[in-house]
Amino acid sequence: MSTSEFEEIIVLEEQLIEAEATAPRPVELAAQDVSVWFGKRKVLEGVSIDFPKNTVTALIGPSGCGKSTFIRTLNRLHELIPGAALAGQVVYEGQDIYSKDVDPVHIRLKIGMVFQKPNPFPSMTIRGNVLSGLKLSGMKRSGHDEIVEETLTKAGLWKEVKDRLNHAAGDLSGGQQQRLVIARALAVNPHVLLMDEPCSALDPASTLKIEETIRDLSSSVTIVIVTHNMQQAVRVADNTAFFLASENEPGHVVEQGVTTDIFGNPQDQRTLDYVNGRFG
Amino acid sequence: MTTHTEVFDESRLVELREQLPIRPWRSKPRRFTWSVIIASLAPAVFVGLLYVFADIPGALLLVAVYLPVQIFASGLAAYVTRGTRGIADSVIIVNAIGATVFTGIILASLLGSLIIRGWAALSAHFIFQNNVYINPSTPLEYGGIGHAILGTFLIVLISAVIAVPIGIATAVYITEVRGRAVPYVRFFVQAMSGVPSVVAGLFILTTLVVTGALSQSALAGGLAYAILMLPTVARTAEEVLKLVPEELRTGALALGSTRSRTVFRVVLPAAKTGIITAIILGIARVIGETAPLLLAAGNADQTVVNPTGSPISSIPTYIFNNVALPYPDAVTRAWGAALVLIVLVAVLFTLARVIGARKPGR
Repeated sequence: MSTSEFEEIIVLEEQLIEAEATAPRPVELAAQDVSVWFGKRKVLEGVSIDFPKNTVTALIGPSGCGKSTFIRTLNRLHELIPGAALAGQVVYEGQDIYSKDVDPVHIRLKIGMVFQKPNPFPSMTIRGNVLSGLKLSGMKRSGHDEIVEETLTKAGLWKEVKDRLNHAAGDLSGGQQQRLVIARALAVNPHVLLMDEPCSALDPASTLKIEETIRDLSSSVTIVIVTHNMQQAVRVADNTAFFLASENEPGHVVEQGVTTDIFGNPQDQRTLDYVNGRFG
Repeated sequence: MTTHTEVFDESRLVELREQLPIRPWRSKPRRFTWSVIIASLAPAVFVGLLYVFADIPGALLLVAVYLPVQIFASGLAAYVTRGTRGIADSVIIVNAIGATVFTGIILASLLGSLIIRGWAALSAHFIFQNNVYINPSTPLEYGGIGHAILGTFLIVLISAVIAVPIGIATAVYITEVRGRAVPYVRFFVQAMSGVPSVVAGLFILTTLVVTGALSQSALAGGLAYAILMLPTVARTAEEVLKLVPEELRTGALALGSTRSRTVFRVVLPAAKTGIITAIILGIARVIGETAPLLLAAGNADQTVVNPTGSPISSIPTYIFNNVALPYPDAVTRAWGAALVLIVLVAVLFTLARVIGARKPGR
């Protein structure tokens, strides 16, 4: 290969990367006209959001507007609550995950979740927790040691725990536990990762680490994150959706779009007020 | 030591004093606690003198003289050291310590009377030999309860093997499966826990032994025990499973786990200590029960290993058969057997606790 050809490859590759970055990404997960009830009370109405592949989407809005409820409809955890009901569709890989022939267990394996409160399994070691997803889902993956190191590194916890992988997970601090459950969620290779206020119980340093993790992951995983921290949404999210519920009305999406637009140039007055901290 | 200095160095003293660990929270409450304790014990001397020199019954002295004087004295001591707020503190402290001591005295007197009356029966052959060739007047140098210990082990093991899985399964149905029949299942378990032990024995006797399906045996006795053990295990296990945080279940399900894997790999292991408590309480519920075994397991003097073939002895039935006999050695044997039973239970429970307290990993 001549020098000029070599240079040409570099230029072409750069152009390719640029093209990939700007090209519209295919939609991996999409909520279509989702409404949710608890008993007779309607808590969400007509939510439609597209989640393009390998992007980060932030769901923001004041407390009690249905963000957490909505995120739990995306991997069928919502239906575990007694009295829960749902209308609309959640389309994943071209199929409605609520259609009759879909196994929720299979869906939850592909669409992982990290919760607000760290919930490592107390009966297992740190290593056991990371690998628990494989055991619980019956998934076969070889090279357990590599999975443990890789996922813990991705979650920013490897350096702190590599010498005590066989200690009980309950011995870790809250921030470490949260990063441990992120590693646990990654070990089953999910295509989508749902995060319900993952940093609300963490100190700023741990929060920053998890935000870095989210940015790194977004090249290979589609991420949906609920957050109350507006700076966090700006820092990590490509797209943002703003939820709002007025009194005695179900929550709905007021505005959604590219994060910089939502925060820099919102179309709706309520969005402008919220992102500037004037209410909520 | 080489660091000794001949000349007095005050700054060095101050420096050394600063290194002493200081516990500022200790000094005052300790004086308070001690004065309250001394004040509440001091009347004992007065009451003791009254008991010795005046002809007043001890119980009356305790309730009518000692307790009121004690409350007053400890209250006064508390008032002097800490003011009005101390009085409430002292009442709680004195009552808490009093209740603890009272429970301790009951336990100690129980154990004490077992040891005093049963110690003479204890020996190596008492643990290992059986009751063949022994009659009530045989001296304590011969015979033992080896056959009864083995019988109790066998019967409790059979009942645990039956009742523990069913009990835990019942609890899992109530807390994890949450099926439609939950209220009915709960009701039945509750009703079952009210079954008198003699009725459990009669039930096995009439349905299995009299009909000829089983002879009086360890299996029949174990079935009768299982009826009694089941509701205790089920209810305790239900309570401990309820304590497992919901986040662990959703966390497991969010990893693509099935319901059954969630229960067996996450929920039950998380409740392990509590489940062991449930098993212990179930065994404790039955191990001293006599009536069901008199009816369903019968009695035997020889060592029986076959769980189905023939009547079998157990520690409770051995005690029952010996304690009312008009021979002092037989009665001593009964007390000795009771002592062995208590020690066995204590060893068993300690073992279970040690196993249950192990943390994952190293």
